[in-house]
Amino acid sequence: MTSALSNATGGVTPAKSVPLASRERLAYWAFRAPLIFMVLFFAIPMAMTVVFSVFERTMFWMEPGFTLQAYENFFFSARLTNFLNSMKYSLISVVICFILGFPIAVFVRKSIPLVAQHRVVLLFILPFMVSEIIRVFALRPVLQRNGLLNTTLTNLGIIDEPITALLYTHTGVVIGEVMSFLPFIIFSGFLAMEAVPKFIFEVCDDLGVGPWRRFKDVILPLAAPGIFAGSVFIFVNGLGVALLPNILGGAGAVNAGLIATQAISALDFPLAMAVSAIMMATLMTLLWIGHRLFDLTKILTPLS
Amino acid sequence: MNEYENPWLHRLKWTYLLIVVLTLMIPVLYVMYISFNANGFGANEYVFTLEWYGLILSDEILIGALRWTMTLAVVVTVIAVPMALLAAKYYKTADNKLFVVFLLLAPLFVPPDILGSALLVSFKNLNAVFIWVGNGLGTSMFDSWFRLSFMTATIGLIIYTIPYSFVVILITMGRYRNEQTEAARACGANGWRAFWDIEFPQIRAGVFSACAFTVILVFNEYTRTSLLKGGFDTFTTVLISQMLNTGMSAQSYAMSALISFVAIAVIGSIILITLIRAETLARIARGKPEPATS
Repeated sequence: MTSALSNATGGVTPAKSVPLASRERLAYWAFRAPLIFMVLFFAIPMAMTVVFSVFERTMFWMEPGFTLQAYENFFFSARLTNFLNSMKYSLISVVICFILGFPIAVFVRKSIPLVAQHRVVLLFILPFMVSEIIRVFALRPVLQRNGLLNTTLTNLGIIDEPITALLYTHTGVVIGEVMSFLPFIIFSGFLAMEAVPKFIFEVCDDLGVGPWRRFKDVILPLAAPGIFAGSVFIFVNGLGVALLPNILGGAGAVNAGLIATQAISALDFPLAMAVSAIMMATLMTLLWIGHRLFDLTKILTPLS
Repeated sequence: MNEYENPWLHRLKWTYLLIVVLTLMIPVLYVMYISFNANGFGANEYVFTLEWYGLILSDEILIGALRWTMTLAVVVTVIAVPMALLAAKYYKTADNKLFVVFLLLAPLFVPPDILGSALLVSFKNLNAVFIWVGNGLGTSMFDSWFRLSFMTATIGLIIYTIPYSFVVILITMGRYRNEQTEAARACGANGWRAFWDIEFPQIRAGVFSACAFTVILVFNEYTRTSLLKGGFDTFTTVLISQMLNTGMSAQSYAMSALISFVAIAVIGSIILITLIRAETLARIARGKPEPATS
């Protein structure tokens, strides 16, 4: 660094005041450019879903107007039942992911030396980096009637008949959600456990507190913001990733993402926008509740 | 392991952790295994072959799709990573950190179909507005600005990848002490020199990791790309349309395996380099004398 510093000073020529002012102005806008981009192409389009959802549907597109037809199509049809059902199954996926994944986050923080903790978490990035669509499609040859799982269980003599409920059912969708989103609860759990110093475990051990009480009264309250953020991520993606019910679900396995993409295929753009607006409202409500209950800004502490 | 823990329980927990990693990888590994079978999925006899990979590489549609995918990945990376870097630097000094972090991380929470649909409709409306303005001005130069194209796909993918790059770079920046920039500026360096010569060498690993993540995410992405791409095909859109139309063929297995091999090779290399670098730095640190403290 010393050499870098001397290089830096050695090559510097005093800048003139006018170019300096324009450089400063350029830097001012350059640092804000990503935020402007995100407002223009992310925040505004997401907010505009509410406006577009009340437009009137035409044969191939939509035109400005005010109608609640799209919301009627959603709330007074089987779509609402499907949406509520997908909420139930997403919630089941969140619970399974938490039960399977959070103990790993606790184990890594509690029992693995500090220098090795990030390396262990990196292991879970590997499956996540393989395309989600490949991972979901790859579940078909694993779960189907003559797939890897049924063949293995039959060969081991554990089952006589192949299990057919694993694919093209709600169970298949839940398996897909768990396999797709489990790493996220481990990542968020790992970040959340930053709020639980190692000595807390030692204090609990010294007092002879059992694992359940330690979890319920100590870990859970401290790690709640991170756990909540991870759970919201899984829940919302379970509601919104159309691929999972499309590939692994059967009849009736329809979530909000699938309703939106089906609406776009049917050129019913106001309905697609109404579904998007409902999803955004669900997400914002959950984040608002989480923030009121747990102060979600605490998750940012490791990033600050 | 702490002194309270039973060594067998500790080993059991490690075993559980590795089983979870393996379980998450099994579908992908199984697809790779099938992709080398001349008889395809479900056959009684396993005969090793590279035939399916040969078919992919000789398929002009696929090679064309690969070219589009790589171009898209490079363009998105070249734009998204510097943007994430600028955003991370802004975040460090921003007064309202919550707004910055919310805006940059929110796309993580928006499901792909929802984001893709919202952008699709916005772009189509924006395009209509631009054409209307162009007509009013008597020019056709605005006609294709927001028509679904390579550009709209790029914008959608930047929004999708920027949160990942932002977090990776921000974590690396966490180890950088701002006093070093202040020292450089006090020595007369301008902002750019202070960044390029002092800060960047220390956050380089994070920036390069962000580049690798972005390339892989773009390469893997299907939903947003297929909704926003316009008239060209990427590797995953070809693969998925093939899978949905004709089911999983031997060639589909090879294509899936090929994408997975690329992703695992890139991320595996990053993990290995990170581990080797950490070991080297630790060895160098061990070799140095303790700093004198008064």
